[in-house]
Amino acid sequence: MTAARVGIGGPVGSGKTALIEAILPRLAESGIDTAVITNDLVTDEDAERLRRGGRLPPDRVRAVQAGACPHTVIREDPTLNMAAADRLEADFPGLDLILIESGGDNLASTFSPDLVDFWMFVIDVAGGDDIPRKKGPGILQANLLVINKADLAPHVGVDFPRMLAEATAVRGGGTVLPTVCRKGTGIAGVVEHLRREVLFK
Amino acid sequence: MTPLYDPPATLAAIRAMQLADSGFPSGVFAFSWGLESALADGQVCKRTLADWIAAELRTRWYRFDRMALAGGHRLTGAMLTDWFHTVDTLMPAEAPRRDSTHAGDALFASACALRIELDPGAKAAQAQGIGHFSVTHGVFLRACGLDLPNALATSALSMARGAFSAAVRLGVAGAISTQADLLALAPLIAELATEPDPAALPASGMPLSDVALMRPRSGRLFIN
Repeated sequence: MTAARVGIGGPVGSGKTALIEAILPRLAESGIDTAVITNDLVTDEDAERLRRGGRLPPDRVRAVQAGACPHTVIREDPTLNMAAADRLEADFPGLDLILIESGGDNLASTFSPDLVDFWMFVIDVAGGDDIPRKKGPGILQANLLVINKADLAPHVGVDFPRMLAEATAVRGGGTVLPTVCRKGTGIAGVVEHLRREVLFK
Repeated sequence: MTPLYDPPATLAAIRAMQLADSGFPSGVFAFSWGLESALADGQVCKRTLADWIAAELRTRWYRFDRMALAGGHRLTGAMLTDWFHTVDTLMPAEAPRRDSTHAGDALFASACALRIELDPGAKAAQAQGIGHFSVTHGVFLRACGLDLPNALATSALSMARGAFSAAVRLGVAGAISTQADLLALAPLIAELATEPDPAALPASGMPLSDVALMRPRSGRLFIN
């Protein structure tokens, strides 16, 4: 195994797939050879969306079904994802990075260190500015917290600077990056963070 | 002085309990082997769930998985690879064949992560895309130190527990009531977990679950 394995978790609709769609072109521009594994709860919806998006060849996007348990397949029993990642590395020698997207879950979801080298947790402002204060393991333990849909803050009554400050505080200063994945805002910072902390290139 | 317990037997029992435990990572939690479709189609319900699982044990597991696993446990090297080919040949329907190798891949990944060295004959089979779960399970359990009787009991219990667990996650049965059902099935599991004749070939056939296993469904929670 040579490719770095990076998990992307977070609640349903927070923007996990949108984040992947946004970072893939920048990773490609940087010469980082990437593949993706999605963990859809019921269908191959996310995998199909990424394949249709054309940002990666379709066979570099693999779907793993989660057996009704999105957290089990990334934490208690990550073997299906490990097998999928092993298969990707066998099929594409020289891969630099495998992104593993969790199915939408709750604030308690975390990635097994047996599965990933690094993981980020994606929340969004529309979910409420009290999410960081709830201190779920996803918020606290992720290597990187991404707060997406920052542009929606004024429309959903969220004081975004305060939300950002509270998120940073509950994480003990751990990195928190704001994004608007649909518009590409903040994406360069996420990619730069991955290159510096995970890929070392 | 006679010891109060038999250390090797106790160790084997502890290993078997660990390997049959739902917490043991092997990927099987994501497979329902037709139960999800059968429940959705009304072929089985909460009242008949235990009967369905007993029938699966008596047919699919006893006639096919038990044989496949025993071969995986007994054989090594090229003969083991040949056994994988034999089992592959005996699975003519593509969907269960694909799902079996998919589940087998997860068990290989588990072995790799646990640094449990599997027989080269099994690795060769996986590289050829025929690393079927039941055979791999036999190889894996032998590598973990289980003898064949304990390996068979572990497999049968895991199959029944996995089916009940799927039913719980599908909201059809309760986690407590299924434990009562599993306790009631224990004598059947013990009765069925017998060593097969080495010359016997796997053969299955349970039309309802075979059809359910192959039926495509939209909105599926499990792999099959």
